[in-house]
Amino acid sequence: MRVLIVEDDATTLQYVAEGFTAQQYQVDTATNGHDGLHQAKHNQYDIIILDRMLPQLDGLTLLTALRNNGNQTPVLILSALSHVDERVKGLRAGGDDYMTKPFAFAELQVRAEKLIQRNAPSAANTDLEVGNLRMELLTRKVTLDEHELMLQPKEFQLLKYLMEHPNQVISRTLLFEAVWDYHFDPRTNVIDVHIAKLRRKFEELGHPEIIETVRGAGYRLCKGN
Amino acid sequence: MTLLIVLLVFGLYRQLVIEQENQVEQHLATEMQRYQQLALTVDRRSFAAQIRAADPKTALIAWRNSVDMVGALSFVPDNMPVLPKTRDFPILTGGPDKLHILTGGIVMTHYGPVLIATRTDNLAALIDKFINAAFWAVAFTLGITLAVGFIFSKAILRRLVQYNLLCEKIEQGEYNTRLPVSHNEDEFDMLAGQFNRVLDTLENNLMAVRGVTDNIAHDLRTPLSHLRIGIEQLPNKPTEQVSDQTAMLLEELDHCLATFDAMLSLTRIEEGQQTLDMQPVSLQLLCEDLFEMAEVVAESKQQSLTLTVEKDVTISGDKYLLFQALFNLVDNAIKYAPEDATIQIVQSGKTIQIIDNGPGISDEDKERVFDRLVRLDPSRHHKGTGLGLSMVKAILSRHHAKIELQDNQPGLIVDIRF
Repeated sequence: MRVLIVEDDATTLQYVAEGFTAQQYQVDTATNGHDGLHQAKHNQYDIIILDRMLPQLDGLTLLTALRNNGNQTPVLILSALSHVDERVKGLRAGGDDYMTKPFAFAELQVRAEKLIQRNAPSAANTDLEVGNLRMELLTRKVTLDEHELMLQPKEFQLLKYLMEHPNQVISRTLLFEAVWDYHFDPRTNVIDVHIAKLRRKFEELGHPEIIETVRGAGYRLCKGN
Repeated sequence: MTLLIVLLVFGLYRQLVIEQENQVEQHLATEMQRYQQLALTVDRRSFAAQIRAADPKTALIAWRNSVDMVGALSFVPDNMPVLPKTRDFPILTGGPDKLHILTGGIVMTHYGPVLIATRTDNLAALIDKFINAAFWAVAFTLGITLAVGFIFSKAILRRLVQYNLLCEKIEQGEYNTRLPVSHNEDEFDMLAGQFNRVLDTLENNLMAVRGVTDNIAHDLRTPLSHLRIGIEQLPNKPTEQVSDQTAMLLEELDHCLATFDAMLSLTRIEEGQQTLDMQPVSLQLLCEDLFEMAEVVAESKQQSLTLTVEKDVTISGDKYLLFQALFNLVDNAIKYAPEDATIQIVQSGKTIQIIDNGPGISDEDKERVFDRLVRLDPSRHHKGTGLGLSMVKAILSRHHAKIELQDNQPGLIVDIRF
């Protein structure tokens, strides 16, 4: 996998670059808009992480230029501007996803992977399997060690998202977006309550540890059962 | 002003001159008729006698008979026109005022041409006097006008200079400065009054902002100082505690950021900077979504959440923001009501009510809860930014919806009308 990071803030750039390097990505960087556009045009990337405010050439202008050039590489916009307006602007200019600074690399990674997968259609997976946990997407049947779990629709969606990213920390915001069609920071425990219910069902089968709470970050589905 | 007076004087002058000329003409016309009649009725000698006896104050007559000039004048100037046309001509006399101006013309009588003239010196003198008087009148008025204008402009200038000085003070941050208002109620007082009212509003807003800033400082300072302490202690922690400790610090930091973000977006929504993504929103669907999301949360507190919908109405609104506002209200009800409480979401036409039988809110707090960063729970035991209800109010008012808090005895009814 090859990623281009266009970011002028050195600290953020280093943080993101190190994160992707640790995930075995080939990382290219640019610290201003012109360089970013040049590299994006002349190399083939799986994903571009693009800062919104850049010297010389603004992030959105870069993105528009890239799209007008016929380049369809997935672009994830990073921005310190958190308003809904800005998000909409970013997506309209051709961005595929939008994240507000500050952010956790774990969430950036999950979002980036989602975009890469979407862009490279693989053989449609009808089943998900993590350890002894199996999910049949067509029949919506979930089994753990041959025991079937009866899940509510929202619980099913939450578990599906976790199973798509096993062993990764998934933030509450990501889970919220995955399950509900509403964009706002749920400063509530609505996700926690749903996860607690889901976890109780695993507990009944003797495996509450499958869904692990990561303090200050989110939840993780463990493979090691 | 002065111009007006000059025009008036000039008009009077014209009137006077025309009047005088009319009189002279009339006078000459009567004399003309008299001598024409006379020539027809008396003989030559009597005519000459009459001319000689003519009172020079009424008219000066001269008649040239075959021998010499008869009458008050010793000559007839050349080119004299025939009356009623007249001409001015000068004569010399032996008196103190040697030169006189006469106005007159020729009358053709039975005995030949007779010159009839009248003295118009008086008129000329009168006009002179008049012009003289007019000049002084105009000069006087002009002088008075200039003096009064000078005094007035001096007074106005003094007030402007004063205003300027006070404005400089305000610019330097003395926001309690006010412009003086006299009892004259003139335009300047109106201006000063208006200016003072603007200053009142500004000062109030500044105070409000200052209050909010103090609140922010408190709300952000506390978690920030926790963070500072936590980071400082981190290197001294036993290795196995470091990751837990870090996670705790991250949570604290995220809370700061959430408060900060909420503050920003509240301001943007309140001030209308954020454009709403308007679309048709079914209030019934909105309440159903709301119920679905909140049900599990209520369940986790052993509370029962019910949904009643009737008569669906579709309004134009920002679905996400409206959902956020309503969810906030339901979430508050769940948060503050005790276990086993009942919370109802009731939608009927354009009205949505969120009813709980929890502790409720006292009357004096009902308005206050919508203010920024106000939290009725002084211990701040419940997690929150203190901006939720301000946000709710801002979002609803952008949708022209009214929100009212009512008593459920016990509990709270939040009544929203679109």
